[in-house]
Parts: sequence; structure tokens; C-alpha cells
Amino acid sequence: MSETSYAVLGIFDNPDALMKAIPKARAAKLGTVEAYTPYAIHGIEEALGLRRSPLGGMVLVMGVLGAITAFGFEYWISAIDYPIITGGKAPNSWEAFIPIMFEVTVLFATFTAGLGMLLLLNKLPFFGHPVLSSKSITGITRDRFALAIEAEDESFDSTAAARALLEAGALEVEVLPAPDRSPFLTSDYILRTLGGIFAACVVAGLAMFFITKWFPLLAPMKHMQDQPRLDAQRPSAFFKDGHGMQLPVAGAVARGYLPAATGTQEQAASLVNPLPRTPEVFAIGRKVFTTRCQVCHGALANGVGSLTAAYGAKPANLQAQQFRDYPDGKIYWAIVNGKNAMPSHAPYLSETERWAVVHYVRALQRAQNAKDEDLKVVAP
Amino acid sequence: MSQSKQTSPTLLRGAMALGALGVLGSYVTAGHERFWANWVFWFVLMFTLGLGALFIVALEHLVNAKWSVPVRRIPERVATLLLPAIPVGLIALCALPVLYPGTRPEAAHNPILAGKAFWLGVPFFSVRTLLSFGLCTLGLWVLVGGSLRQDTTRDPAFNLRARKFAPAFMASFALVITLVAFDWLSGLTPEWYSDIFGVYVFAGAFLSGLAATALCVLHLQDQDRLEGVRSDHLYNLGGFLFAFTVFWSYIGFAQYMLMWYANLPDEVIYYKVRLAGSWRAITISLATLHFVIPFFALVTRDAKKDPKRLRRVAYLMLFAHALDMYWLIFPVLGLEPRFSWPELSFALFFLGGILLWLRGAMQKGEDMPVGDPFLREGLEFRL
Amino acid sequence: MRSDAALPAGDLPAGLVEPGLTVGKVTAGSLDDQVLAFPDQRPPKQWYLALAFTSTMLLIGLFFMGVTVYTGIGSWGNNSPVFWGFGIINFVFWVGIGHAGTLISAILFIFRKRWRNAIARFAEAMTIFAVMCAGLFPLLHVGRPWLAYWLFPYPNQRALWVNFRSPLVWDVFAVSTYFSVSLMFWFLGLIPDIASMRDRTTSKLRKVIYTVLSVGWRGAASHWQHYEKAYLLLAGLATGLVLSVHSVVSFDFATSVVPAWHMTIFPPYFVAGAIFAGFAMVVMVLVVVRESMQLKNLITMRHLEVMNKVILGMSCLMGYSYMMEGFTGWYSMNPTIQHTFLNFVSGTYAWAGWLTISCNIVVPQLLWFRKCRTSYFWMILVSIAVTIGMWFERFSIIVISLHQDYLPSAWRLYRPTMVDYGILLGSFGLFFTLVLLFARVLPVIATTEVKAILPDAQPSHHGDERHV
Repeated sequence: MSETSYAVLGIFDNPDALMKAIPKARAAKLGTVEAYTPYAIHGIEEALGLRRSPLGGMVLVMGVLGAITAFGFEYWISAIDYPIITGGKAPNSWEAFIPIMFEVTVLFATFTAGLGMLLLLNKLPFFGHPVLSSKSITGITRDRFALAIEAEDESFDSTAAARALLEAGALEVEVLPAPDRSPFLTSDYILRTLGGIFAACVVAGLAMFFITKWFPLLAPMKHMQDQPRLDAQRPSAFFKDGHGMQLPVAGAVARGYLPAATGTQEQAASLVNPLPRTPEVFAIGRKVFTTRCQVCHGALANGVGSLTAAYGAKPANLQAQQFRDYPDGKIYWAIVNGKNAMPSHAPYLSETERWAVVHYVRALQRAQNAKDEDLKVVAP
Repeated sequence: MSQSKQTSPTLLRGAMALGALGVLGSYVTAGHERFWANWVFWFVLMFTLGLGALFIVALEHLVNAKWSVPVRRIPERVATLLLPAIPVGLIALCALPVLYPGTRPEAAHNPILAGKAFWLGVPFFSVRTLLSFGLCTLGLWVLVGGSLRQDTTRDPAFNLRARKFAPAFMASFALVITLVAFDWLSGLTPEWYSDIFGVYVFAGAFLSGLAATALCVLHLQDQDRLEGVRSDHLYNLGGFLFAFTVFWSYIGFAQYMLMWYANLPDEVIYYKVRLAGSWRAITISLATLHFVIPFFALVTRDAKKDPKRLRRVAYLMLFAHALDMYWLIFPVLGLEPRFSWPELSFALFFLGGILLWLRGAMQKGEDMPVGDPFLREGLEFRL
Repeated sequence: MRSDAALPAGDLPAGLVEPGLTVGKVTAGSLDDQVLAFPDQRPPKQWYLALAFTSTMLLIGLFFMGVTVYTGIGSWGNNSPVFWGFGIINFVFWVGIGHAGTLISAILFIFRKRWRNAIARFAEAMTIFAVMCAGLFPLLHVGRPWLAYWLFPYPNQRALWVNFRSPLVWDVFAVSTYFSVSLMFWFLGLIPDIASMRDRTTSKLRKVIYTVLSVGWRGAASHWQHYEKAYLLLAGLATGLVLSVHSVVSFDFATSVVPAWHMTIFPPYFVAGAIFAGFAMVVMVLVVVRESMQLKNLITMRHLEVMNKVILGMSCLMGYSYMMEGFTGWYSMNPTIQHTFLNFVSGTYAWAGWLTISCNIVVPQLLWFRKCRTSYFWMILVSIAVTIGMWFERFSIIVISLHQDYLPSAWRLYRPTMVDYGILLGSFGLFFTLVLLFARVLPVIATTEVKAILPDAQPSHHGDERHV
């Protein structure tokens, strides 16, 4: 009789009886009328006078927000923050942003629907409701339908409510005692919770620190560090002789170095100078000749260079008829392979440089054996 | 398509006559290409609308839908549009050498077209067209004719027959709609191909059939001829309109995005033509009118069962379907998008004809399939 | 026209009468007793045997996954030019299987097909497990799975972002969204059922667990209102996912220019294939469930027959897709594409192509016959054929197109390794182990949803027919 009741439940065993009872219970105006059913009953919302669920609007808004957020995010990342052209597609390719935009829209909408319904609208999880600890809950989640008249204030009369429910057709009634309303947010509770959170953070932080420090050192994470590659100034286990650097396979020719001047000088006679006789080519030839050849062969390619007297060697006089008759290939061969005392100049002369020198030597040869016609003024 | 209660047959006949004059005039003055483009446009529009409606009927039989039985007579009547579409289509065969490069003798010199010349050529094209017409007539006879006959015989055996026939119809429908897409629409640019195109045209056809159905249902409801059809039924129609708007957009976007992504010249040319100059505006309008507006107009639960909203969206959807066909056909003329007196005349002629035909169709049989044993269950349907 | 013009239901010919959704008398109470009793009982010996078998498969798989992570992707058979092998085949296969569950629980809910209620819970669970199996493969195939978080866009010290123009990134988002949404949808559906279990169980530990999991659900009508709305919205959203997720997966292939991959029909074709493969798996598992758990009165032959019809329908859609691909392959007049299509039927891997066609198109045609739709032997035969066929379809698409594409000097055969086979076996082991555990621990039938569709479950309508 003392009014510390939360509500009175009336139990029914079929939905028709429940629906018939609702208007009677509401008309009695003894408290808020709520129903508890094992599944959703059609038409019960109107009968109870419930307001329409705002969930649809919430989901639509959040869905649109998701679309805008996703598209904006993708656009900002791809077109503003770090724009790169990939796959021939412009950074602001809106077509490519649509699939993810759609998925994120669905994601936002779904989580709004699910979590919004549970947390916001139904205020679940909540384990303290009196119905959960009632005798009737077993029936409610099985096959019984309960109609509750809930107390709105202290003037709640549970006896009257019970009578009203029985008159409305309830098979039995149950009075639910009021729940313990002592505040649980005491300062002690708050301090303990905060302390617990702080402790958890410290533990988690330490754990993360040590894990991220040690984790990469475990196999297989460390496999990328142990790579079978050559480290500088270290023996290599990759090759049998322990060397990191290996010579190229016999007969290997570097790119751009074909045709190779292998074989004898006579065989090289058939090689053709691939470079055209342009001022640029001659400039290269002149530069190389002046650097590499002049010291022995002389500025006029006549075999009198600055080293000739010092060495006592006899570099070829390229102005001699023999050398003027040489095909380009044989001169080239000599540059690449060396001849007699002349070493090979191949290691530090590129293909272009070698052939350019050949052109320059030819120019020098012509210069020393000019004819009258060569002195004609050529138009610039 | 619905007409207002006041549109008199005389007005429609007058419009048709005026249109016919313009149509004949345009044959003489506007150039053969433009004439035939308009003719093919209206043929495809009628054919896809009728096919879409017939598909609705067959689908309802295939899945034993009960809620739709009270409104099934409407798409059955709209599907009869296939009958006048046949002579229009036969005349459209004359467009082949004018608009369809694969049918011309020059195709033999084009390496891409030469290999499939027998497919693209007039003889096989015509055979396929006649086959399509035959299959449509068969479908109409069994499904629509049978349903109309059931009004008087009240024999439930028709339901069993229709249920057995529905899968066969679906197979023939898949063939016919794919042929419409590949022959009449992508055949205009025979070097281009897209194997989703049949699905794309299907989506448009289904939507236009749904829209026409919705409009006619609302129209008949206004005349108190569909007693028992409630907002629950309208909600389902609205739901289908919404869902297949999304479906059409998904198919359209998939085709566009895949071709944009690979950027292959022989595929992308299709879209480049439609994004150049004033066609760009048409493309954007198509996306807006066929997807954006209907989507947001029908997204809420209430909108799907609101008769006013449904009517407007259905009109929009039919217009958008027409715009879609226009967008598929007219760019091959090599001109900017245009709508002037030839197009207007064709519109008067064909729209007038279609509305007249539908007007007559709405009198065929009872307004609901009264012989169907599931009619009561359909009327009792609740969300 | 007047509704009294229709025939009374009693005069329907036999072919038009639909069997009920349950067999025999089922009440809300008997439903709970039948279905919710399982988690409280000891499972039969067969369950333990089955679990041992599937766990062995799973362990074998875990071993080979360990080999992959330790050694690297070189332990797989992927090579040039078949850079994508079993990894992506299995991924697409499992994601596809998941779609049936979402279709049953979401799309059929939208269409208000009541028969879906008895099988929706199991189907959704299968979706989640299938997506978990699928998720293994993107994780493993990156080579260094502990760095898989690089796939997500987060601000980092390298100032790098993911490439949003890549379909593989779209996949990351699509499959993650699909998993989250399916999990949410499944969990929400479970809440009222777990509440029933909470109120029935006698074990203290279980009561605590169920209390927490059911988040204090009490069946309040005001809660049901929001709950039903959320469920409807989730079903609608999940419907969009069914179409979009496998379409995004198909974009992995269709956006490329590999011959026979760049076909615009791939998105709906993959979705149809996913539903096809998924329904076959659902049928197989449900046959076992209904027999071993004596649920034949709830998972009736009508359910199986309708699902078999869906399988048949999807088989026809696949047939249409194959026809369109073959036709446009010819129509394209592109010699490389035509060469690839010839490889499907007469190349080195033609056996896979023919296996695909016969298992996917030919064998399911048996389901035109009612006898086959309602016979365990035939429906399981068809389902196994479909499962094999769909796996080999992925194999055909990937391996046949890749092993001989544009550059003949790059043509090479693909040979899967023991590790590949082991992981495939392990994925089946994972899936069936999770299914067995689910059947043991949670209600396999959504009791709440089935209660809502029993006869007399809803109040009868009085008064006005017209509520507009």
C-alpha cells in the first residue's frame, strides 16, 4: 500500500486482449501506460499514443553527412593535400570517389540507426529497470503480454491500478517496487572510475611502448632487415667468393656500347661511325682529343705531343698516309682496345665520345692536307 | 501515361492530326536522318514502355505476389501498347540504312564492322526484330489475354498457367530487351559495345512501366474505380519506383565509371560525344532528373504513399526515361541537342496516339482481375 | 471493383495453395522451448566430431597462413603474369557467399516475405563468418599483415595517403562497411532473443553473460517502436550494400583493361553470382541444421524449395551473363578478347571453364523439377555443384584472363602451391567451425521474429478497411 511502487503490471496471454485493454488503462488515467511484449505488435504505437520515431530523419541527416564527409575527405586528400596523377587520372576525379562515398554513407546511416536507436532513443544498455527483476519478465520474453501502469508521481495508487488492469482483462497483476534511486554518481565512484581509467591508460601506454619497441625485432617482422643484399665494406654471403661486387660475365657489353670493337683491328674496319658530322659532335671530339689524345699525338695529330720527348715513345703520326687511309672503324678500334704502347681508352670514354674523336681526327687530317677548294668561304 | 479527366478524345485526335502533318513535313524538309531519329525514338519509347509493363505482370506471376493483384490490370493494359508499337517498329526498319552504319555497304570496308556484317546487316536485323515482336505478342496473348479471359471464366487454372509461363517469358524478355538495346540503340554506334547495356535499357523500361502503372492507378483512383486499393498498395508502388531509380542509377554509373576508368578510346568516345558542348547539359539533366530528384523525393516512408508526390514523380520518371532515350539516340546525328518543330510534331502525333490507345485500353476488361482467386487477399494487404 | 467478386480460398486448385510457414502446432512458448534449449544443453556427439573435423581443417589452414606470413608471398603460386591467384579467388568467393545472408535478412525483409524469418538469423551469421573468412585474404596477401593498417587513410609522418582512385581501396572500405553493418544488423536482431535466453537460463554465469549481451532489453513497446524502425532502416541500407559491395569487388577486375575483365556487365553479374553461391551454401547448411537439430517444423520444406527457386533464378541470370560476355567478346572484334574467350573453352584451363559452365548453368537446371527442389539428395548435389562451380568461375576469370593476355612473351601457366591449397582448406575450416560454434551458443532461429508471424500473433483488425 505504501506508494513506493514503480508500476503495476497486468499480464495477458494474447495480443487481442492486450490491445482491448490499452484504451481502458489509458482512460483510467492512473499513470503512464506502457506495454511489454515478446515481439512488436502491429498498431500498438497508435493505441499507446506514442510519438513517431525520429529515427528516420536522424538516419537521413547522418547519411547525407556521411556522403559529404566522405566525398570531402577524399577530395581534400586526393586533390588538395597531396595531389598526384595516378593511372592517368586527374587528382580530382570525382567518379572514383563515388564508391567510397556510398559505402561511408551507408556506414554513417547504419551506425546512426543502430546506435541511435539503442543508446539515444531506447537508452540501452540499462540493467536497473524494475521489470527486469520482476517475476513477469520470464513470461514477457516468452509468450506473455504485459500492460504496465507506471507511477508518474507520489500520488500513484497501485491498488487502483491493479484493479483497473484486472477489470481490463488481465490474468494476473504484479506490483513492481520502486528501484533504488540512491545516486550512484558519488564522488567516491567518480574518483574510483577516473583512477581506474588513468591506471588503464598508464598500463596501456607502457604496453604499447614496449610492444612497438620489441615487436619489429621479432621474426617475421624483422625479415625486411635481414635482406640478402650487399652492405658496404662487408663480406657478402651471396656469392661463393665472398665478394659483393662481381665482374660482369665474359662477353657482356654495356648498354649503348654496341657495336663492340671486339676482334682484330682488321675486323673493326667495317664499323661505321654512327654520329653525324655536326658542330656539336666536333666540339665533343675536340674536347676529348684535347684532354686525352693531344698529350701524345700532339695538337695537330702529327705525333709530336708534350709527352713524346719525356717518354721517348713514338705515338702514331695520324697525319701519315697510312692513317689517313684508315677506315673509321680501325681508328675506333685503337681507341677502344689500345695499340702497342697506347692503352685502351674505353673505360672513360663513352661510345659517343669515342666516335666524336674519330670525326675530330678526320678533321685534323683534312686540315693538314687542305686543298684550294677547301678555302672557299662557306656561308654562315 | 495518365491523362487528366478532361482530356477528350477529340483533342487527342486533333493533336495527332496536327502532329501527322508536321511529321510528314519534317520528312521532306528536316532531313531523313532527323526524321528517322525521331521515329526510332518514339518506337523505342513505346516498345520499352510496353515491355516494362508486361515485365511487371510477368514478375507478379513469377513470385506469386498477392498485394499487387488488385492493381495488376493496369500494367496489363499498358502492356497492350506493344501492339501499336509493332507497326511503328516495322516502319522503323526503314531507318536502318539511314541511321545504322552497320547496315550500309561501307561497313564492309571497316575492319571492325566487316567481321560482324551478317549480324549488323538488314536481313538478320529484321529477323531479330520480327522475332522480338513475335515473342511480345505471345507474352501478351498468354498473360494479358489470359487475365482478361479470366474475368469471365473465373478459372483459377489461368494462375497456374501464368505461373508456369512466367519463367519462359522472363527468358524471352531478357532476349528481347537485350536485342532492343544492342540493335536499336547501340547499333547506332556499332563500333561501341557494353554488355551491361541490355540491363541498362531493362532498368529504364521497368521504371517507365512502373511509372505508367502508378499514374494510371492514381488516375483510376481519382475516378473511384479502384475501390479497396489503399495507401499500402501505393506505398509498394512507390517503394519499387524508389528502388529501381537507385538500380537504374547504379547501372548507369557502373557503365560510365568503368569506361571512364579504363579510358579506352573506342569506348570512351560514346561519352565524350555526350559530354561535349550542349550535350553536357543534357547529360547532367539526365542524372538530376532520373536519379537525384526522384531519389530525394521518394526517400521518406510517407513520400512513397503520398498520391500527390507519387503522381509528380511518376510524370518526372516518364519524362526522364524519354530524355534517356533521346540522350541515347540523338547524339549520333552529330548535332547539338535540339527540340524544334519536327520533334514537337512527332511528340504531338505519338503522344496523342499513345494517350488515345491507353484511354481505350483502360476500358478493357474489369478494372481489377476479378477472376483471380487471390484478389481478396490482395485487397486485404496491409503494410 | 468489389472484393466479393473473388473466389473463397477453399476453392483454390492444389497448385496454388501455399504451404504454411510452420509445420504442426507452434506456439511462442513451444518455439522458445525448441530453439532456445540448445545453448543450455550438451551438444550431441556428432557435433563434437564435426567440430574436430572442421578444427583440423582450420589448424591446417592456420599453419599455412603462418608459413605465408613467415616466408612471404613467394610461398604462394602467384607469378608473372598471374599476379592474382588463390588469394583473390578465395576473397571474392567468400565475400560472395556472405551476400546470400544479407539478401535473406535484409532484402526479403523489405519485401515482407514472412518465410524469411525462420532462416534469417542463421543466414546473417553465415554472412558474418563468410566475410571474416574473406577478410583473411586481403590481410595475408599484403605480405606484411602487421602493417595492414596502412590501407586506411590516417595522417602519418610520411605525409602519404591511400590512393582513392584504386578499386582495391574501394574494396577496403566496402568490405569493412559490409562487415560492420552485418555485425550490427545481426547483433540487433539477436538482442530480444538473448533477452529470452536470459530469462530462461538457470546457470548464473550464463545469466550474467546474456544480461550484458541483451543490453537490458525488456520488450517495452516504446522500445519496440524504435527498434522496428531501426531494423527496417538497417534492412534498407543493407540492401544497398548487397548490390554495392560485390559491385565494388567486381570493379577490381572491370576497371582494368585485362581482356575479358573489362566488361561492363561485371557488377550485376558478380552480385548475381554472389547470391547464387551464397544461397547454395545456405541450403546445404540448413539441411544439416534442420535434420540434426530437429527443426523441420520451423525450417520447412517450403523454405528449402523457395531457396532452391532462387538458386535456379540466379543460375539463369548467370547464364544470361555468360551469354552476354561471350556475345560481346565476339562483337568487340578484338582479337585479344576473342583469344581469351577461346581459352575459356579450349585452352590449357578449359577444364575449369567447362566445369564452371556445367556446374553453374547445367546442373542447377535440375531445380526446374519439383522433385529435385524437395529432395535432399538432389538439392545438396546441386548446391555442391554450385559451390564448386562458383569457385571455379572465379578461378577461370582470374587465371585464364591473366595467364595469356596482351604480350605473348609474358604468357605463363599458373601453378598453385600446397600453401595455397592449405589456406583454402583452412578458410572452409574457419567458416564451418564458426557455424558449429554459433549453433551451439546462440539461437539459430530468430525466435522473436518467428513468434511475430505465427498465426494469431498479431491482433486482428477490426473496423475500417481504408486507413490511408
